[in-house]
Amino acid sequence: MRNRNHRNPLAIGFLVLGAFFILFPMYMAIMVSLKNPQELGQSILGWPRRIFWSNFPQAMAATHYTHAFENSLFITAFAVILTILTNSMVAYAIARNMHRRFFKYLYYYFFAAMFVPFPIIMLPLVRQMSHIGLADRVGLIILYVVYGISFNVFVYVGYLRSVPMELEEAALVDGAGRWRIFWGIIFPLMGPMNATVGILAALWAWNDFLLPLVMLGNPNQFTLPLMQYALQGQYSTNYSEAFASYLMALLPMIIVYVVAQKWIINGVTQGSIK
Amino acid sequence: MKQETKLLAVGVTIAGMVVGCGANTNTNSTTPNSGNSTNTGSAQTVPQVQLNFLQNKPEVVTQWNKIIQEFHKKNPNITVKQVNPPNTDTELQADVAKGQVPDIIAMGADATFIQMANNGIFKSLAGRPELAKVSPSYTKMLEAEVGKSTPFALPYTANAVPIIYNQTLFKKYHVAVPTTWNQLIAVAKKIKAAGGTPFYNGWKDSWTIAVPWNALATNEEPANFFTQLKANKTSFTKALPTAAARMKQLSSLGNSNEFGTDYNDANSGFANGKGAMYLQGTWVLPVLRQANPNVKLGTFVFPATNQPSKTKMVSGIDSLLALANSGNSTKEQAAMKFVDFLLQPAVATEYANVAGMFSPVKGAKMQDAALRPLQSYITAGRVVDFADHYYPPAMAAGDQYESLLQGALSKNQSAKSILQQMDTLYKQSAAHE
Amino acid sequence: MFRMRLSWAYIWMTIPALGLFMYFHTWPTLHGLMYSFTNWNGFGPFQWIGFSNYAALFKDPQVIHSYLFTFQFAVVTVILVNVLSLIIALALNSKIVLPKTFKALYFMPYVLSTLVVSYIFNYLFSNVEPSVASALHLTNLAQNILGTNWAWVGIVIVACWQGVAFNTILYLAGLQTIPEEVYEASMIDGASPWTNFWKVTFPLIAPFFTINMVLAAKNYLQVFDQIVALTNGGPGTATQSVAFVIYTNGFGGGELAYQSANAAVFLIILILIALLQVRVLQGREVQL
Repeated sequence: MRNRNHRNPLAIGFLVLGAFFILFPMYMAIMVSLKNPQELGQSILGWPRRIFWSNFPQAMAATHYTHAFENSLFITAFAVILTILTNSMVAYAIARNMHRRFFKYLYYYFFAAMFVPFPIIMLPLVRQMSHIGLADRVGLIILYVVYGISFNVFVYVGYLRSVPMELEEAALVDGAGRWRIFWGIIFPLMGPMNATVGILAALWAWNDFLLPLVMLGNPNQFTLPLMQYALQGQYSTNYSEAFASYLMALLPMIIVYVVAQKWIINGVTQGSIK
Repeated sequence: MKQETKLLAVGVTIAGMVVGCGANTNTNSTTPNSGNSTNTGSAQTVPQVQLNFLQNKPEVVTQWNKIIQEFHKKNPNITVKQVNPPNTDTELQADVAKGQVPDIIAMGADATFIQMANNGIFKSLAGRPELAKVSPSYTKMLEAEVGKSTPFALPYTANAVPIIYNQTLFKKYHVAVPTTWNQLIAVAKKIKAAGGTPFYNGWKDSWTIAVPWNALATNEEPANFFTQLKANKTSFTKALPTAAARMKQLSSLGNSNEFGTDYNDANSGFANGKGAMYLQGTWVLPVLRQANPNVKLGTFVFPATNQPSKTKMVSGIDSLLALANSGNSTKEQAAMKFVDFLLQPAVATEYANVAGMFSPVKGAKMQDAALRPLQSYITAGRVVDFADHYYPPAMAAGDQYESLLQGALSKNQSAKSILQQMDTLYKQSAAHE
Repeated sequence: MFRMRLSWAYIWMTIPALGLFMYFHTWPTLHGLMYSFTNWNGFGPFQWIGFSNYAALFKDPQVIHSYLFTFQFAVVTVILVNVLSLIIALALNSKIVLPKTFKALYFMPYVLSTLVVSYIFNYLFSNVEPSVASALHLTNLAQNILGTNWAWVGIVIVACWQGVAFNTILYLAGLQTIPEEVYEASMIDGASPWTNFWKVTFPLIAPFFTINMVLAAKNYLQVFDQIVALTNGGPGTATQSVAFVIYTNGFGGGELAYQSANAAVFLIILILIALLQVRVLQGREVQL
């Protein structure tokens, strides 16, 4: 029975149990990464007798960590900024003209594209992108921005419908152009949605595996997940080094999450229920 | 940052592209190699060359890095970047689709190599002085596989498929090295009866199953099996009943978790004494020693038949060196320099030794004591190439037939059913050719 | 709303996006459809072969199996993820200690790279699960689950570990929109918690249920990362998903054209499922 005055022991017990399941793989990863192969052979889950921090710098060197990190950051940063700036604009134009046939169809066109599975685009896309010399990081950024349109327009339009038109109309009477209205009034008004779109784009670009896998040929441009995949063989039987590199690949996102978790959770929720 | 200006430029030209590209993207289908060089690094004034080097052996990543460093010291203007993805074949095909073929490729002489050599992906080495530096018999083996008399690659190392055993455990169980199949099974049963694990199989990675399969199948295949197969005059079912049945025996005498143990786990497990015999090629020796420096390893010829005088050892070209047909002469010259560096007897000896291989490079010496029992077979030419190098590309590429064996063995299907599935797969793959 | 003349600014805001989208999305889609009528292997010459690829697809046991596996995986995962996340959301929404910490913890898996998470689980299944199970004398689990007929369950576990996070947050958002008075009113009527949930809570969060179903189905039908990192499709072909087959055989097996046909069939099936879901949505009169 729901009782607002007493804590619910059943719920707490359940959540603690669930927390154990979430944390266990992480705990194991940390334990494995801190041991040397001999001790790992004896015990996987126990606390290390001696901590081998050296696994981390070794893994960093083996996986070209700083390089991959820079690539991931470069791709994610540009994907997020360009997505917010361009997709919001497209959505604005559509939202304010939904009564016109062209914009309405445009909206449905973008929406329908959401259901096209990536595998069908994958094979021809790779050839097309390399043909125009864009099978690289820059091409990847363009794809994130362009493919993001489908979902983001949907999210932005939902939000823009709730933004009253009066402000724009007043500005229009004052002689402001559409561009100035958008950048001066509407874009700042969409702040919360921009945050949502930005967070989702960041999570996508940072963690994505399949698109970089098929697009990037030059190992200098590999992102963190792709580097993990490409260098799986490198660790051979040295699991400690492998896990050190796994943890380092996850760490940037975990730090960002710990700092900005409230934003991220709100952002993701907003994006999905709008 | 250069990338940013590039991004801007892209933004400006994109409008033009959208209009103009509808027409020119149609032309992509017939040019196998458009030779575009989109890589960074062209703007510097010093002629710095970066070469992408794809190699398919996770066991020797460190050794390659060492060689690359030594090479770079002598050739400071050439940087070689090693790539070693888990599915090299798939990766290479994707690279070809992108028109970004790695400049130098070290891979096995497998179906993917054959297919690509036939499609002009690699540079022809006809007339190159490098050919004189390697054993002609292995160069011929490569040409036979491709089916053309053009050399598209140089043999760099040759492997062998023996059975690797743990000498300490053989002593413990009081068993001797077997020379016939029946002896092998007797040894295995004795070990099992004593509570040990006869074969330590890492069959979660399906390619590992291909290793004993090749040893068994090549010894049972009649002469001109593949021509007959192509002409529909024989089939896997007709020709290889014993090989399939013996695969099942090897599986039943393996570790209980054999389909849940991957290659790395099996290496570390076998090196640490969890099983007495290991059905792997010689390439695994360095990894085993790395996982446990104290392990005492021995090898014996895979006793695939009951007539030792007739048993042949599977030996193939483990790594060949091929160059991309990129059309970029600066890169091709730099790549050839790297190849010349690799063909020095000292470099080849050290590499072959670290990799657990025999070296076809003239002047290189075999130094590994564990490989000594196999040397006489190599010297006498009692070797036979991997059978799967002659399977249709679609059957071997993408681990297709290996997955089939893995699925059938893990479900404990009958030998007959395994062979029927092989026949179906063969027909399907041959149809794609 | 007073009708305005169409401003050119609107056109300039949308036309470039439309052009880019057509070029980078629609054009390759059409191209893929075109390949599916050829016998091209990715390099070299090709011929038009009509519907032969499609005909062969329906007789290809590997392809048929990949569809069966993908649907089995998606259905089980969607149900499991939704049930688990609903329970967790209910627990998080009740009176508990450290609500913010729990919420943050339960959402964390969502921000992690699926590939890396799968690598971690791969080790867990191969090295921890068998030894823990044999220590507990659970002989059935003493083998790496990924090497058995139950390999797909291992993939479901990893998908749930990560997937529950997102759905939980959505359900929680839904639950928090329910005003307290609703419960008080129903409590006065003497309803049990069970009826309370089905009669009051669930109908109010039904829209969230539908959204979750749609998004989860779309995600899990395209499963790829987990497979690559956990089983590479094995044992045998047991855990090859449709996306995995298209990637592996399309690039690696010289079957570019054939797998394009497979992708086209996959597209049609996904569209049918999407239409079905929209139907259900409209039936529920929920605004998408």
